[in-house]
Amino acid sequence: MPNHPATLFSIATGSAEPIYRQLVEQVRRLAAGGQLQPGDDMPSVREIAQALAVNPMTVSKAYGLLEMEGVLQRRRGMGMVVAGQGLQAPSADRAELLRPTLERAAREARQLELDPDTVLHLFATILKEAP
Amino acid sequence: MNTVGTPIVRLSSVAKRFGEHAVLDGLDWQILPGQIVGLLGRNGAGKSTLLECMLGLRELDRGSVTLFGEDVAALSEAARARIGYVPQKTDLFDWLTPDQLLDYFKAMYPRWNDAKVEGLLGRWGFGARLRRTPVKRLSGGEQQRLAIIRALAHDPDLLVLDEPVSALDPLGRRDFLRELVDGVIERGTTVVFSTHILSDLERVAFDLAFLKEGRIVLQGQADALLENEKVSLEDLFIRTTRDAASEVAP
Repeated sequence: MPNHPATLFSIATGSAEPIYRQLVEQVRRLAAGGQLQPGDDMPSVREIAQALAVNPMTVSKAYGLLEMEGVLQRRRGMGMVVAGQGLQAPSADRAELLRPTLERAAREARQLELDPDTVLHLFATILKEAP
Repeated sequence: MNTVGTPIVRLSSVAKRFGEHAVLDGLDWQILPGQIVGLLGRNGAGKSTLLECMLGLRELDRGSVTLFGEDVAALSEAARARIGYVPQKTDLFDWLTPDQLLDYFKAMYPRWNDAKVEGLLGRWGFGARLRRTPVKRLSGGEQQRLAIIRALAHDPDLLVLDEPVSALDPLGRRDFLRELVDGVIERGTTVVFSTHILSDLERVAFDLAFLKEGRIVLQGQADALLENEKVSLEDLFIRTTRDAASEVAP
């Protein structure tokens, strides 16, 4: 069971998406994509709060929601672990998780009056770039 | 850290005017134990006046303020020792060196955390030479860091910060936020702070309050306010604090 560092997460301020929501989305994506495997230990609330310099209550709120959704599981005395049976979500479900981010990008593309081909080409290029 | 119980700060119908100008105008505000509240408002909205009235540093024209359930005008020594305050401008005792200044304040507080003070001085760049330099010869950022160390030194239960990071560079601000997260919020300290640096506020303030025209016009959990309005904090600030007069008709 690998230990994931608190640097697993990154947040952006100045967004209409509150920080706790950003954390929830990131865990969902990482779990759906298999980077977070069932049984993996999650960093503690305090570690994440320290690493990101955010209020621990915000991190707790994100973990609480993820626990309710069944993405994470609270282990007595051991903190949070990734829940699940080790099955990666079907690719269609995983793609759906990308929707909010892409909707935002689409909105900005329309504001910039870019045509769809240019935007799709750019996205294809970005996908092929190193992580 | 639960926000339950009786308010730690309670302002009722507070009014304060300077000459013709009503800065606070029948303001009501309550802060619960453990809350981390960001106070927002335009320049000149009266945030500093509000914080000063809250701490009993200014006489009220009307209304009342209680801290820890006590009338602020007759606050006990015990209650006073539970408060930490970083004013916007710190020009007090600037002929003293940081070491002398901290020794002076240490004598006034029964609960003074020497280990915390030494740790912060070390982490925040106060070497032997700086600690023996008169405060008035320190940079604005160094003076502000010292004021923050002084306010945190006695592990206050209520911490009031008026633009605490205005003179700090991004790294200094991040150090300060980390200290808030690890050394202050973790202890369950109630924190009220004003700042124009919204990204900092977004990171640490769980609750927000907007001051406009002498009253708290909007308050609530930061996340809920953003989600209800579907806007960024910057847009929420502009929307909430804009004068009706300056609004352009659609």
